[in-house]
Amino acid sequence: MDRQGQNGLLSTFREGWRSRQASAWLIAGLLIGFYLWLYFEDRGWFPESMKLMDPAAQAVGLRNRWFLYGFLYCLAMVGGAVYYLRRHGNSRYNQIRIAVNLLVQTLLAFTLPFVMYVFTNQDFYASYLWPLKIEYLYPQTLEHYPVYIAIYCVLAALVATPILALTLGKRWYCSWVCGCGGLANTFGDPWRHLTSSSTRSWRFEKVTVHTVLVLAVSLTVLVAVDFFWGASLPRYHSVVGELRSLYGLFVGAILAGVVGVGLYPLFGPRVWCRNFCPMAALLGLTQKLGRFRIAVKPDMCISCGNCTTYCEMGIDVRAYAQENESFTRAACVGCGMCAHVCPRGVLKLENAPKGKSLPVVG
Amino acid sequence: MNIVIIGNGVAGIEAARTVRRAQPAWSITLVSEESDHFISRTALMWVVSGQLSHRCIEPHERDLYRREGFTRVRARAVGVDLAARRVLLGGGLDPLPYDRLLVASGSRPRPGPWPGSDLPGVGSLVTLQDCEWLEGALHGGASHAGRPPNPDAHHGSSGPTSPYWPKPAVGRPRQAAVVGGGLIGIEAVEVLVAAKVPVRFYIREDWFWPMALDARESAWIAERMREHGVEMRLGEELVAFEGGERLEGVRSSGGTEPADLAVVAIGVQPNTEWLKGSGLERDERSGGLRVDEHLRTSDPHVFAAGDCAAVRWADGSVRPEQLWYTARDQGRVAGRNLLGEDAVYARGPWYNSAKLMDIEYTTAGLVGDVPDERTFFHEETGAVHSTTRVVLSGDRVVGFNMLGRRWDHSVLVRFIEEERSLDHVLDHLHEAAFDTEFVPPLVIPAGGTAGRRNDDNDDDRPRGRA
Ligand SMILES: Cc1cc2nc3c(=O)[nH]c(=O)nc-3n(C[C@H](O)[C@H](O)[C@H](O)COP(=O)(O)OP(=O)(O)OC[C@H]3O[C@@H](n4cnc5c(N)ncnc54)[C@H](O)[C@@H]3O)c2cc1C
Ligand code: SF4
Repeated sequence: MDRQGQNGLLSTFREGWRSRQASAWLIAGLLIGFYLWLYFEDRGWFPESMKLMDPAAQAVGLRNRWFLYGFLYCLAMVGGAVYYLRRHGNSRYNQIRIAVNLLVQTLLAFTLPFVMYVFTNQDFYASYLWPLKIEYLYPQTLEHYPVYIAIYCVLAALVATPILALTLGKRWYCSWVCGCGGLANTFGDPWRHLTSSSTRSWRFEKVTVHTVLVLAVSLTVLVAVDFFWGASLPRYHSVVGELRSLYGLFVGAILAGVVGVGLYPLFGPRVWCRNFCPMAALLGLTQKLGRFRIAVKPDMCISCGNCTTYCEMGIDVRAYAQENESFTRAACVGCGMCAHVCPRGVLKLENAPKGKSLPVVG
Repeated sequence: MNIVIIGNGVAGIEAARTVRRAQPAWSITLVSEESDHFISRTALMWVVSGQLSHRCIEPHERDLYRREGFTRVRARAVGVDLAARRVLLGGGLDPLPYDRLLVASGSRPRPGPWPGSDLPGVGSLVTLQDCEWLEGALHGGASHAGRPPNPDAHHGSSGPTSPYWPKPAVGRPRQAAVVGGGLIGIEAVEVLVAAKVPVRFYIREDWFWPMALDARESAWIAERMREHGVEMRLGEELVAFEGGERLEGVRSSGGTEPADLAVVAIGVQPNTEWLKGSGLERDERSGGLRVDEHLRTSDPHVFAAGDCAAVRWADGSVRPEQLWYTARDQGRVAGRNLLGEDAVYARGPWYNSAKLMDIEYTTAGLVGDVPDERTFFHEETGAVHSTTRVVLSGDRVVGFNMLGRRWDHSVLVRFIEEERSLDHVLDHLHEAAFDTEFVPPLVIPAGGTAGRRNDDNDDDRPRGRA
């Protein structure tokens, strides 16, 4: 069998639900509705009688709405993975990557917190790290966790993450471990071609994603200061409290959830990852300094555009390929789809020492 | 300085960009009949299936012409007045004056020589209009992403003899035929298979693509096609297309079989008939414009590049090179010479890659019909199915034909240029590997020598890097 390359032609743009037709808008509406319900039913936006999430969770034996959400998330990922593997599953890279992603999600992001909650009444999501999970570096949070978890949070975010990003690229997290990326690459995969690859969208991305990163880092510092000196600064303390909940509302609920997933069927599955995720921004900057790159085989690109079209991060891969330029872009999550769909085998993801000439000679 | 370029294909665009980089103020006009925007012709098959949209196959963002200050004329050029230095346009449009002219008008499908080749339902897969014709027949029209912009913009200046004139629409076929066993033929087969239309593939030769594949390699491809339900008609000469209002059947040396859609893919020929009588010298056999090593035609103010130019090959023959990357390189050389430089177009060694159905294919150097004593052949079965064929001349390696894996042709070409021995090449083959991650590497058992198949080998020591 063929272990690489797209098998069979795709019919992406002939499927209405994948091409911004009415059905796509309907799916987007349902997703947005679901997220509004999930995040806002207990913020006084919904009448008492419409508060369904927690009762529904308890009815199926899950403790609260967040576990229900986690369960549905896993289901959506499994369903999406089946669909994904039916189209792209001949490739070894895709098989292994999606399998790891599913395992991390079902074990580390669902089963582990569920079990932990039973024993400690606390939950912890080991696959989410600062600054994506911004509170995992707040001293206020760390204080409440058992010390080994606190150490894990600090080391994972500040030591392991940069080292892995330098050696393997941003992909180790964004398309192998992260739950947001996992959902995007399974449930969201049918819409990957909808991400804009225009220069304008790239400019937008650079501004927004780095803005959120600056906000996240600043907020973390403010909150830490509050932890140590907040008691003596009541006004500061209350302002920081406000900022925390504002960040949670705008970044956590609206951008990551409602916009991030709700817009899958209209703007592709990486709206959040590409434009707003502070973790992606940080990993991207690290990746630029590291070994990961997309190697381009010289003078073989036929400018067909499959790579650019199927890049979920909106990278105009063809622009590099047709100029024979191997490259590293901060946005690249290393999903490998450009190399997979390239009909001339022009592209190859690799972790190579800087400056090494192609091909890697052993 | 006033530069006019006929054709906004890859040769024309690359020439225009080369000129612009050096001369921000020169006037550059691109004339194209086929499309408003530069498109990748190589990608038409994916537009038909819906894997790509019309927009996806534009290699540059749409503001290219504005950004680079290119003037665009969407019209058919019908001749050149060399004495007055003007390009004549169809449809009563004013002639375009030039100081230096580049003809980059590409190729048109070679028409079938058989009776009935002009029946509705008979077409090809070369131009954007062919693509739209197939989209209409197989899918009832363009995908949800829409049609190309201004599809009819050139009608006033064009006519039915133009390769860019729309084909008569036909309804969804019940049975299709593809004629001609080459690369475009197999792309047409794939597109029809993807649209779930039964296909018969007529190939005059005894196996698919004998120009490039040997019998074993070809048998594998044919097997893969049969798995996809393609009926192979090997060794069958076409006799006629039959039908009244529309194609109804295909008559070949093997008999008559029904078909209501046929894609003829027996090659392309230079798009130079509009220059007949202009005084520009054409190569008799191929129809390509004769050019010197600077890609200058018989008129010193006129250059030619891409599919429409007959250039001198490494083996000394003179004919067009119908390849994307050579058209691009020729465009760049022509661009420098439009600037007044003396750049030389030097044809490098042959290489290419493609995908035959789902099977990756890379070739470099000379691989044509070679006797067994001069080849090393290895078939890999197991986790990966691949074949490796190395062609020798004496004891040096002169060609590679590789199926089922990805290879960096530039390393293979280097082996050839360095006149390496088979042993050296087999020991260093991993340097050319370009497989995606986690694909187990190719291991060729030691002991294989020229003329022997791997199944003769009893020595299983691994060779090269595992
Ligand atoms: C289906 C298909 C698949 C292919 N796949 C591959 C591949 O995988 N690898 C590869 O290397 N090559 C491939 N090729 C070949 C490759 O596409 C060509 O070699 C290349 O496009 C040639 O570029 P060009 O610029 O010379 O001409 P073209 O791209 O043919 O452009 C011709 C231009 O000239 C204009 N023109 C022509 N006549 C006139 C006129 N009278 N008046 C005004 N304008 C005119 C047209 O509008 C057009 O803009 C493929 C070709 C086809 C058809
Ligand atoms: S790199 Fe591959 S997929 Fe991308 S444009 Fe070139 S040939 Fe097409």
